[in-house]
Amino acid sequence: MSVKNILVFGYGAHGRHIAKGLLDDGYLLKIVEEKEENYQRAIEDGFTESVRIDMSSDEALLELDPQSYDQVVCIMDDEHYNVFITLSLSSLFPELSIVAISDSIHTSSKLKLAGASKVIDLYEVSANRIHNILNRPVATQLLKDFVMSKTGISFMEMEVPKGSFLHGKKIDDVDFSCYDVLLVGLVDKSVNVHSFEFVTAGHEHTLESGDIIVCMGEVEKLRNFKKLLHRKVDLCREVKA
Amino acid sequence: MNETLLTIARKLHNSSRYRKAKLAIRDLLTNPQNDYRKYFDLTIVFLIVTSVIILIYEVKHPVPLWIEYYDLYFVSLVFAVEYLLRLWVVNDVSEMILDEYRDSRFLGKPFRAKKPLKKAFRQKLRYMLTPSAIIDLLAIFPAYRPVRVLRIFVLFRVLKLLRYTKSINQFIEVLKNKQFELYTLLFLLAFMVMTAGIAIYVLEERINPNIESLFDAIYWALITISTVGFGDIAPVTDEGRTISIIIIVFGIAMISFATSVIVSAFSEKLNEVKESRIIEKINKSESFLIICGYGQMTKMFLRQNHNGNQDYIILEKDSERVEAARRMGYDVVHEDASRTEVLQRFNTKYAKITLLCLTNSDVENIYITLTAKSISKKIEVIVRANAQNMVKKFEYAGADHILLPHDVVNNMIHIAITQPTMYKALHAVLTGKDAAQIYEIHMHRYSDLAGKTLSDIDFKAFKLLFLGIHRNGEFLFNPAPDTIIEPNDVLLVIGRGISLQHFEEIHKGVA
Repeated sequence: MSVKNILVFGYGAHGRHIAKGLLDDGYLLKIVEEKEENYQRAIEDGFTESVRIDMSSDEALLELDPQSYDQVVCIMDDEHYNVFITLSLSSLFPELSIVAISDSIHTSSKLKLAGASKVIDLYEVSANRIHNILNRPVATQLLKDFVMSKTGISFMEMEVPKGSFLHGKKIDDVDFSCYDVLLVGLVDKSVNVHSFEFVTAGHEHTLESGDIIVCMGEVEKLRNFKKLLHRKVDLCREVKA
Repeated sequence: MNETLLTIARKLHNSSRYRKAKLAIRDLLTNPQNDYRKYFDLTIVFLIVTSVIILIYEVKHPVPLWIEYYDLYFVSLVFAVEYLLRLWVVNDVSEMILDEYRDSRFLGKPFRAKKPLKKAFRQKLRYMLTPSAIIDLLAIFPAYRPVRVLRIFVLFRVLKLLRYTKSINQFIEVLKNKQFELYTLLFLLAFMVMTAGIAIYVLEERINPNIESLFDAIYWALITISTVGFGDIAPVTDEGRTISIIIIVFGIAMISFATSVIVSAFSEKLNEVKESRIIEKINKSESFLIICGYGQMTKMFLRQNHNGNQDYIILEKDSERVEAARRMGYDVVHEDASRTEVLQRFNTKYAKITLLCLTNSDVENIYITLTAKSISKKIEVIVRANAQNMVKKFEYAGADHILLPHDVVNNMIHIAITQPTMYKALHAVLTGKDAAQIYEIHMHRYSDLAGKTLSDIDFKAFKLLFLGIHRNGEFLFNPAPDTIIEPNDVLLVIGRGISLQHFEEIHKGVA
């Protein structure tokens, strides 16, 4: 996996912890702060690329060039600022995908309105984690490990390329287990770009080039499968035949 | 005299039958958890109820002789025996005599039975003066027929029922807190009634035909000061009326004062009483959650507790937050969870308790964890940590699961970057919003699936996606179809809740 760049707005109580965690996960971070105190702390903590800007000025935001980053994260301590910065960014760069962190329900809906593409409610996800620990402890831990690729097993998204052997096939007709991968779900390009569906939803889907399929499996096998997708012929069929 | 007492005491001490009998009776009378207690209580209640029914019926109708004998001798006899037994089990006189004998032998002074007897008698007397003992005694009285008035003592038998109600004890408990105010009031009342009574007696005894004795006068004073005013006795002179005016005004003031004292006593104690009810209720459940702290996290947690199948109780020490939780209708107790006594009030021995430490202070959470673990290792603790460096400390304190809110958010950002398409689905899975979820299917020992191979299960028919098996702490991803399912395996599937329910309905011994 290539190193990804993240632009983080805010280095307060929450920002500090999250930034450190992301650093541990192997991301490259640039911190943007307004308060001198927080900025200094970011520098002390080793985020030497941090900048201190006046958040209310559009020029300063344009200068940062957020579009060159893989992800923009808004996590100011003051929820007013958080909503404001989200709004400014989404008005300046309508295409920008912004993840905003909220710590209450009311803020969440405001952040959504302000144009954040993803809102993570700090306490909502944590509270749910507790429910999951209580109700399905094994699955919770495993899911977390899959997501962070700790067990060597992970999810991978891949687009069905043009001329792939998958084109025009029904899901049930393809033997994914032959490639040691598991089809988890897919996005039907013809319907909606954002409508991910688990395969268990039960629709008789015919794959087309351009669809995005999500598979699960060992990382190596997944990469291998992704390459094989370009072939015209289903390898497994050939072997069996 | 001393010698005979000593020999009797020795004999009783050496008789195991006597001691066993006494122990059994003491247990029956004082231990509410005694196996036979229910039958004993029912018998007593039956006797009381019949006795009262006879009392009412008798007023207008003649009753058969056998019923009269039943009421007169049988009921009274049972109550008398009960009273004596209760008195008997208050203490062990024989043991006290023997103790005294041993002490005096040890000190080399002559043995005297008088001292232990006196002590024992004092203990018995103290018991006899408790309200419940007095009621028990009065309940025996109706047996004495010649004095008609004594029939009314049957009503004391009704008071015996109070033993069975908790609320009365709580009521008394509440009033005890205002002892000083109530006594002052009572004293004032007595003083006013006496003064006014004597005054009217002196002023009107000769003029007023209705006042014949001092008792009449005092009766009038009390009726007037309480603002009841029957009007059977009324002052006729100007002086008498002046006294009436004064004590009526005083009476109104006193009644409002008394009311306010009692009301405030109750409003102060009301929450406490309610809280002890909540704790009692939760202790009857065999598995429940204790949530410490009512903050954002707890609010979210409870909001997600959609189906409400988890019994829970919130402990919060900040009174404003307690109020907020109460307004939302949650079961909350205003207590500090870090105190051992607080956690000990729960049924830690038999219930499966999961403690959620969700306060925003790490120090407090660690302290609560330690408190819980010191009470019972069986209490499962899920704790919220705010900083990474706290995790080690929580592990050391014995927390079973440690949750870092920031860590969870990091996971989510990670997903947002690496799996943008999956984000929505995974977010839904992680926040428990969407229909599709990752589920665990636990294989029990007698499951009809144990011993079968994976290919025997048609997951597709159930609209479930099979991910793998979790076996002995290891995860087997997408194992071969001929893998044999073993007992205690956990199968991981993705699907909707109804699919899972359907699966569990069809296969036995899975959950």
